[in-house]
Amino acid sequence: MGVTKLKKAELYYHKSVRSAVAAALQQSGACHIIEGGPPSQGRTDATSALAECEERLAAIRYLFRVLTPFYSDPASSIGQALGDKPVVSLSDLEKTAAGTDLSALAASVRSVESALSDLRTEMSQMKANLDVFSNIEDFPYPLSVLTNGTAVLAASLGTIPEQNLSALSSEMAALAQRTELFVAAPKPQSKKDAPAWVVLMYERDVAKDVIDAASRCGVTLVPFSLGTTVPLGTTVPLGTTVPLGTTVPLGTTVGTDAAKMSGAVADEEAKVAARLRECEAREAEMLNGLRRAAAVHMPTLQRLSDYWGMMAERWQAMLEGTETEAVCVTSFWIPEAAVPQLQRQLDAIGGVALVASDPAEDDVPPVLLHNKRVFRPFEILTTLYAPPPYGETDPTPLLAPFFFVFFGMCLGDAGYAVVMLGVLWFVLRKYGRMPSGAREFLILFVLGAVSTFIYGVISGSFFGDFIDAFPSLPLMKPLKELKDSLMLIDPMKDPMRVLVISLLLGVVHLLFGLAIGAYDHIRHGRHLDALGDKIAWIFFVGGITLFCMGTTNAVSQFTGSFGGSVAAVGAVLIFWYAGREKKGIFSKALSGFLALYGSTSYLGDVLSYSRLLALGFGSAVIGMIMNLLGGMAAGIPVVGWLLAVVVVIGGQLFGLLINVLGAFVHSLRLQYVEFFSKFYTGGGVPFRPLAVSTRFVEVK
Amino acid sequence: MEFLGIALSLIGAGMAAGMAGIGSAMGVGIAGEAAAGVMTEDPGKFGSCLVFQALPGTQGIYGLLTAFFVLNKIGALTGSLAVVTWQQGLGIFASCLPIALVGWMSALYQGRASAASIQMIARKPEEMGKAIILPAMVETYAVLALLTSILMLMGVQV
Repeated sequence: MGVTKLKKAELYYHKSVRSAVAAALQQSGACHIIEGGPPSQGRTDATSALAECEERLAAIRYLFRVLTPFYSDPASSIGQALGDKPVVSLSDLEKTAAGTDLSALAASVRSVESALSDLRTEMSQMKANLDVFSNIEDFPYPLSVLTNGTAVLAASLGTIPEQNLSALSSEMAALAQRTELFVAAPKPQSKKDAPAWVVLMYERDVAKDVIDAASRCGVTLVPFSLGTTVPLGTTVPLGTTVPLGTTVPLGTTVGTDAAKMSGAVADEEAKVAARLRECEAREAEMLNGLRRAAAVHMPTLQRLSDYWGMMAERWQAMLEGTETEAVCVTSFWIPEAAVPQLQRQLDAIGGVALVASDPAEDDVPPVLLHNKRVFRPFEILTTLYAPPPYGETDPTPLLAPFFFVFFGMCLGDAGYAVVMLGVLWFVLRKYGRMPSGAREFLILFVLGAVSTFIYGVISGSFFGDFIDAFPSLPLMKPLKELKDSLMLIDPMKDPMRVLVISLLLGVVHLLFGLAIGAYDHIRHGRHLDALGDKIAWIFFVGGITLFCMGTTNAVSQFTGSFGGSVAAVGAVLIFWYAGREKKGIFSKALSGFLALYGSTSYLGDVLSYSRLLALGFGSAVIGMIMNLLGGMAAGIPVVGWLLAVVVVIGGQLFGLLINVLGAFVHSLRLQYVEFFSKFYTGGGVPFRPLAVSTRFVEVK
Repeated sequence: MEFLGIALSLIGAGMAAGMAGIGSAMGVGIAGEAAAGVMTEDPGKFGSCLVFQALPGTQGIYGLLTAFFVLNKIGALTGSLAVVTWQQGLGIFASCLPIALVGWMSALYQGRASAASIQMIARKPEEMGKAIILPAMVETYAVLALLTSILMLMGVQV
């Protein structure tokens, strides 16, 4: 049940048809390649083909990184994940791949990128210089004093805390004949305790004294390297082999040369500002160029990314297995049913021998779940935990009905269910070519919504108490009559009854899990394990439940006391068999008591199902609160009704999202923690066939 | 003395929504930090990270739910306050304690577990199923506390 029968296949083929064989295996999408085999010599064709793929992919990754910020993809990533991608034939892809020189494209983009970064370095330097200029605007001498000096004169620029200025003046005065101090007028908008800007001018032979004096007074020297020349804009050949839109004209070299900064501050400032504007224009031009390049090339790159990714996977698979001088062997697992189809495809190639055999004793085949249509959406729940080992029970059909009921009880609102069904119907219709995994996952929620609807009707919850909260709306009166006539339990008024139902469902779930465990033990001939670890507990838990129901008169006195006796038999069995592998009467007895103590964990397990009540309660009350808030808002004059609509719709959507998450997680937890612990450990290897898996396009 | 019952009830409601809310804020914050860290590497994980970040948020909702239950019970929502004796008020106050205390601490620790799970799916996105169960284990106790609070509240007749 549930696990597809696999064959172990060995494929022998001549090296010359390796490429065709690889393509056939990938197209079939049914072959789980067995990894391993000693790396043998002489698989140069596969190795070099793989290396080529990796090289292309590296170029594509680089281009994606640079160009993606400049590209607005018309296809949304959600749409892509749901299968809304263009269909492209393999031969078209091959043609595009052959006709595109990725490395040239990468090289040209790389040169634009580096030119851009050089330009930005230069621009930030210009901005720094403009900042300096703005602080020494009243410097009376030409800037050449600062940048070059003269044969005897040099100058340094710096900042100094306001209060140290007088100290500096007197220090400089000591060398008065050979120095001059310029203090810039503070900028009108500068902050109160901003440092003052100074230029120290001195004869070269007292430079050391001046600098020492300056540092004593706390002068911070500002390096004034006006323009290291950046080789700006060698025109980048953006359109050589690859038609990369139009060539980005990068213009001629603009150099800012320190030596040329010789005029008055205001003149130089104007020059730099003009150059900066020029550079900004150039930057904008380059960014536009990249944007154009992204628009032209991104669609192609996306296709190639899928193509080369597909090829890389193919060649990676071909590296597994062994080979001799001329013959290669690739081993893989394949579903029994898929063998004839693959055989036909391989026969078309010729020179290929396929040997399929049953798995040997010590093989560990991967696991491909296969269930009846109705259970298929639930397979993802099993896979999320871990698939069963090959040949063991697939828990999917076993957990499905419980998950269905639990999800409904946790969400438990007919209104939410209607919204979910509407949204899911829309998505499933809109994205007709959705990958099967995503489709099954959505169908799981469709089923959950159906269950939610049923429980919502039973418990009379429609967007919380919407029907009762707004009786004056049209249609509410007949709806209320309908609701009241269909309502079986009211969790608000009678929570204890729902609690008992939740716990009883829990007991059933646990007993079912134990029964499966017992069945598995018996199937493998471990009869004592089945009796001592599973059946004894079924007696014990089931008996105690009946006994408790007897004491509250839910069942007859006789049934209750019968339950008590069954529980006693169970307890004895548990005690007796717990120490079956221990030696000595004391350790046997100790194991027995410890095993009985384990009943507390069953108590915990059962009580855990009270979440079914609590979460159902939660969604109903959140709905109620939103209706209440809406009702309050409706009381506000004039805009009240509008506010009420916004509050109720927004609030209910919020409640829906939070509660769907909660219902999913908690129903799942009851399967994984309470149910699976009774019989299931997982541990299988998932079946991962070599297949065509793409992100941007669908390959026909 | 005549408003002592009401006052005690309101303190209870305030603690339920307030403390559970504090816990959720901390938990969601912790998970959010981890999520932001993971998304600097891979912004594509936004969807799954958001699920993990939302997990410790439920305690705040449970607290709010309990608070509304109390307000509804004492008639604070309709504007016509019920007569609540101090004994009843104390009962309502006590009913609020489970979700206030457990909501606070469980949200905090669930936030840590969520953050760890976010780290886990950063490396192994295929293990989403297991990663989501670990923080959900912590929430069990908040659910039980909510249930206790509500059953207790129903037991106090006003």
